[in-house]
Amino acid sequence: MTAEGGPRRFAAVTAAYPIQFAVSAAAVGLMVALAAWATRGRGAPPLDEAAARAWLADEFPGQTVEALWLADDGRGGVARSGDWALVLSRMGDGYAARRLPWSQALAAEPRNGRLTLRLADVAAPKAVLAMAAWPPRAVAG
Amino acid sequence: MMKAALDPVTLATPFFIATVILEIVLGRFGKLKARYETKDTAVSLVMGLVSSAAGLLTAGASFAAAVWIYQHRLFTIPMTAVWAWVLVFLLEDLTYYWFHRLSHERRFWWAAHVNHHSSQHYNLSTALRQTWTGGVAGTWALWLPLSLLGFPPAMVAIEKGISLVYQYWIHTEAIGRLPAPVEAVFNTPSHHRVHHARNPRYLDRNYAGILIVWDKMFGSFQPELDEEACRYGLVRNLGTFNVLRVAFHEWIGIAQDILRQPRHTLGWLFGPPGWSPDGSRDTSAKLKAEWAARQAVAPAPEREAA
Repeated sequence: MTAEGGPRRFAAVTAAYPIQFAVSAAAVGLMVALAAWATRGRGAPPLDEAAARAWLADEFPGQTVEALWLADDGRGGVARSGDWALVLSRMGDGYAARRLPWSQALAAEPRNGRLTLRLADVAAPKAVLAMAAWPPRAVAG
Repeated sequence: MMKAALDPVTLATPFFIATVILEIVLGRFGKLKARYETKDTAVSLVMGLVSSAAGLLTAGASFAAAVWIYQHRLFTIPMTAVWAWVLVFLLEDLTYYWFHRLSHERRFWWAAHVNHHSSQHYNLSTALRQTWTGGVAGTWALWLPLSLLGFPPAMVAIEKGISLVYQYWIHTEAIGRLPAPVEAVFNTPSHHRVHHARNPRYLDRNYAGILIVWDKMFGSFQPELDEEACRYGLVRNLGTFNVLRVAFHEWIGIAQDILRQPRHTLGWLFGPPGWSPDGSRDTSAKLKAEWAARQAVAPAPEREAA
């Protein structure tokens, strides 16, 4: 098999790879810096109730949102749908959505103005929301 | 480390870098449609960078397997014949279609492929968000029959590289629809946007590499519709930019499921993504059926894209 070009070619490719990798890594740095520059000041706006409900309708079609609490900084929220808590948390300029049992969400306690909800999902381990007051007074009684 | 003498991906790397830069800059000035996000871009590019190194770990074994198979070939196909290149183009592209379909429809291979779909964005950097575990998943074995037929392994490797380079430029929102004859035959940005969309209507569609005709032949084609904008990413999007979680989350999920219910090991491994013994999770088929049921009641699009 031959189009490999034999041991000399193999050695050349092997020697060249670290250089190729290093140049590519530098290029990655440049492209990320450019992306940061290009998106400066263009972040997603804070969630309002309408936007949050629209996201939730997309993420959990068919589930009725009975009540919705937005994070203080608009970077997410928690909704109640029957026995479930539907959670939105900001990911870049989008959102990750998960649900967890309502009782579990209710039991979470904010610390230093932040509510941490454990989502039991390796792809989204937790949602950290700026919520100084939790559980909501109306729910907590 | 084994590479074909002519590696289209290596040759195209400067083109990849230049066009990503161009898309970011022109997008910034509103000259074309391109949406970037810094952390998302970083994850895509780091995934691509490390993928090139990870691929080397298994490239030797997969190439050696191809060489061994080639030594037992049925025919001897010359690398210098035009007809041989036409034939390998068609057969490689057909193989890619089935590799890609398998990678979406069975969880073991989805675990290796999912990271490519994990961005909520669709731009040229998304194309570079490549797997770290594809070699371990063993899908390279699907190309071995080409060597058994008599195509030299280097020829197959070059054709695979050409396919990968082709598929780079279709990861963009900057190009709308191309002329109808092109859209009819080739995989295009429009067709591939559908493939990356998470709208139930668009799930598990358009697996093509270069020729979209395979999807039309095998019933997996879905055109992009003006009335339903693509929403990109996973059915349940990632809640982290940690590249290790991006690369390995589905593998870890499989392991957790097997440890919890070992008697369902085969289902957890080879069922469709979202399969569970009690049906409590969402497969693409289930999501599509629920969507179709909702459409029957309220046929208008449920919501404009975000």
